[in-house]
Amino acid sequence: MMSCLRRISAVAGNTFLEAVRQKVFAVLLVFALVLVGGANYFTEFSFQEQFKFLKDLGYAAISLTGLLVGLLGAAQLIPGEIERRTILTALCRPLRRWEFVVGKYLGLATYLTLMVAIMALAVWGVLGWKEAQFLRAEGLEPAAAAAIRAEAMDPRLLQAVLLVGVKLAVVAALAVFFSTIATSTTFVMAMTLLVYLIGHLQSVAREQWLETGEAARWTVKIFLAAVALLVPDFNLYNLIDEIVAGNVVLWRTTLEVVGYSAVYVGVLLAAAACMFEGRDI
Amino acid sequence: MWAGGVTLLLLLLWGGAKIRWEKEMAREQRKAAYGFSGPTAVAIREKVGQGLALAALGGFRGLAANALMLQAHGAWEEQQWVRVRSALELATMLQPRVAVFWDTASWHLAWNAAVAAERYSGQISETKRKMEARRWVEAGRDLLERGTKAVPEKALLFQRLGDLYWQRLGDYQEAARCYREALTKGDAPPYLERFVGYALEKAGDKRGALDYFKSLRGEMGNPPNPERRPEVVEREIARLEKEVVGGKKAKTK
Amino acid sequence: MSAAVQTHLLRKEFGLGWFRGRVLALEGLEMEVKKGEVFGLLGPNGSGKSTAMKMILGLLGPTSGSAEVCGFRAGTIAARRQIGFLPENPYFPVFLSGAELVRYYGRLSGLGGAALEKRVKELLELVRLGGEAGKRPLRTYSKGMLQRAGLAGALVGDPEILMLDEPTAGVDPAGSREIRDLILELKTRGKTVIFSSHLLEQVEDVADRVIILHRGKKLREGRLEDLLTRKNEWEVKVQGLPEGDRQELLVWLKKKGGHVVREGAPRERLEDYFLRSLPEETRR
Repeated sequence: MMSCLRRISAVAGNTFLEAVRQKVFAVLLVFALVLVGGANYFTEFSFQEQFKFLKDLGYAAISLTGLLVGLLGAAQLIPGEIERRTILTALCRPLRRWEFVVGKYLGLATYLTLMVAIMALAVWGVLGWKEAQFLRAEGLEPAAAAAIRAEAMDPRLLQAVLLVGVKLAVVAALAVFFSTIATSTTFVMAMTLLVYLIGHLQSVAREQWLETGEAARWTVKIFLAAVALLVPDFNLYNLIDEIVAGNVVLWRTTLEVVGYSAVYVGVLLAAAACMFEGRDI
Repeated sequence: MWAGGVTLLLLLLWGGAKIRWEKEMAREQRKAAYGFSGPTAVAIREKVGQGLALAALGGFRGLAANALMLQAHGAWEEQQWVRVRSALELATMLQPRVAVFWDTASWHLAWNAAVAAERYSGQISETKRKMEARRWVEAGRDLLERGTKAVPEKALLFQRLGDLYWQRLGDYQEAARCYREALTKGDAPPYLERFVGYALEKAGDKRGALDYFKSLRGEMGNPPNPERRPEVVEREIARLEKEVVGGKKAKTK
Repeated sequence: MSAAVQTHLLRKEFGLGWFRGRVLALEGLEMEVKKGEVFGLLGPNGSGKSTAMKMILGLLGPTSGSAEVCGFRAGTIAARRQIGFLPENPYFPVFLSGAELVRYYGRLSGLGGAALEKRVKELLELVRLGGEAGKRPLRTYSKGMLQRAGLAGALVGDPEILMLDEPTAGVDPAGSREIRDLILELKTRGKTVIFSSHLLEQVEDVADRVIILHRGKKLREGRLEDLLTRKNEWEVKVQGLPEGDRQELLVWLKKKGGHVVREGAPRERLEDYFLRSLPEETRR
């Protein structure tokens, strides 16, 4: 058990260090600039609207950056090692193939978590700065001040960050899975992106499939079934929109989506390990 | 080869299980959002283009809706009311759960556009101008009614609807009704309590107003919360009593 | 069980993609490597050497036939525990230092803690990368040093067998000599070494037995001594014999029925001359 954990953490740690060495921190800098710039752009709107704009911008930027980094990173994970032949020295060890896959994924996931956390702190910082600006401008009328504070330091924002994070985790797991069935990184990224887009329509396909009677053609039914069964429902993460709108979202609801994501990641990694097991290197 | 088969089986088995879970979570999320949480097969069947666009935007609907609100703002600065309206309607369609969008939208339609129509519209006839203005106000009201269905748990839109009936349509009974509704939501500003009474009085129902203020004061208890301005309520009760009783006296004379 | 590695009718076909047929990389290989010997895999490019090695390591699965490592089926965890591998032209994560590389491979093999640290130190000493050299990042290493670091990494799990693919490719003569010395050192420690090489002279120096492959088939196999000795010839190296006596000897040999194939001053191998010429320290 101990040696199993050691092996997985060795792979994960190595992957994490390699990822950190890429000069992605320049990307983070651009992200921060976009955020700060956006913060001062819409001053003729009400403070609720400004906060909403800022939060939307922040979370979209985190999502997009995370998506890019996650896609590129995950698609490289195994094909990259095969290309550079470093995989030969790793896999000839008394290391199980699934331990390798899991370790690689965990290394990337840790890196993504770090990036998301840093970006989330940046968003939180900008919100705080804006809050100070508004409080100075609007004076200290209690109702308005309380409303401003509530918008800026909303504890539900933590739920939003969590949801952004686990959504990225699922996308990364998808990419890892595709990278075990194909060797071209372009193919892996294209497939993952495709599934990501279709995932936002999965709920529609699922309802259609479950409701359609005998009237529909069987080709349509099979297509809908395939989408419903094989693609994640990315609309579940739209809770983020509710949080940004300032509406009530229970922790229970969020944690359920987090649990779903965790299980999905597990299934995808198991599938990836299965495909990787018999593969010729 | 068989690895592929086992993998596919694994994914399909999980697929079967997750469908039930996803359905349950989607249902809960929809319930919490009063039915306005996202595209459904029904929504897409009815308005395919809109529905698909909604779905496809995925996690970036917020940005699109914000961009539309910015567009509305720009169009407002240029007094292009039709563009204002279409941008607002799209924005609220994309994100029906954002209360402040409906609020801003109704303000642009029932106040800004209506006033502009009344004063600056190309029509020469004053009647025609008033009619046009009225159409804008009603558009704003219809929009706001839709908004109260989308965000029924907050007081904001009910309060705004009440303001609309009061200031733009002169329908004080309806205003009172809306304010009452707003007060049931728990996040209404404290002064709104008194506005119900004022609206009733403006509607001509002084008796009703008096009864309302009395029951309001009674509900405040002893000692009352000073934020609720009990002294103002008591003053209104005193004034209305004079008018109602005095009126009665005048009638019976 | 005296066999370190055994293959039975090991065969590998590769598919070339959709509808493009298959290529036969290795055909029915029968091979046995005994414990404690140094075994050479020879053959031109495309002969199937790498394929055979990868199948023994479990990186490829055989199309038919089987391979065993110390009695375990090739590719199983138990089998992989017995082999350390150094591939041809390996790329290592260059941001690591030599010591960190060996430590990483140790943790990949399931080792950890103080035991691992001790092992790392020992191995770095063995491959002469101890002390400061081990702490420098890999990107500052010469090719020879990289190979030695890789070797240390391959040895970290204390395997019975060491498999090296072109261990001296691209390494200068001094470095090659080092690696060959290491191989012989490992042999004295009881390890089995299997390696493949194009550089036949270097194979000659260290290998006990060799196998020659060509286009996936085994051509020859056996002990170098047996294969290379020209049994009906006899070689004698003489010093101190004056010129006149040499002629007498040649005549006498001819009289006795011998046919003199070659006579004259023997030539030293260029490699030995080169190494002899370098000052002592540079030979490291």
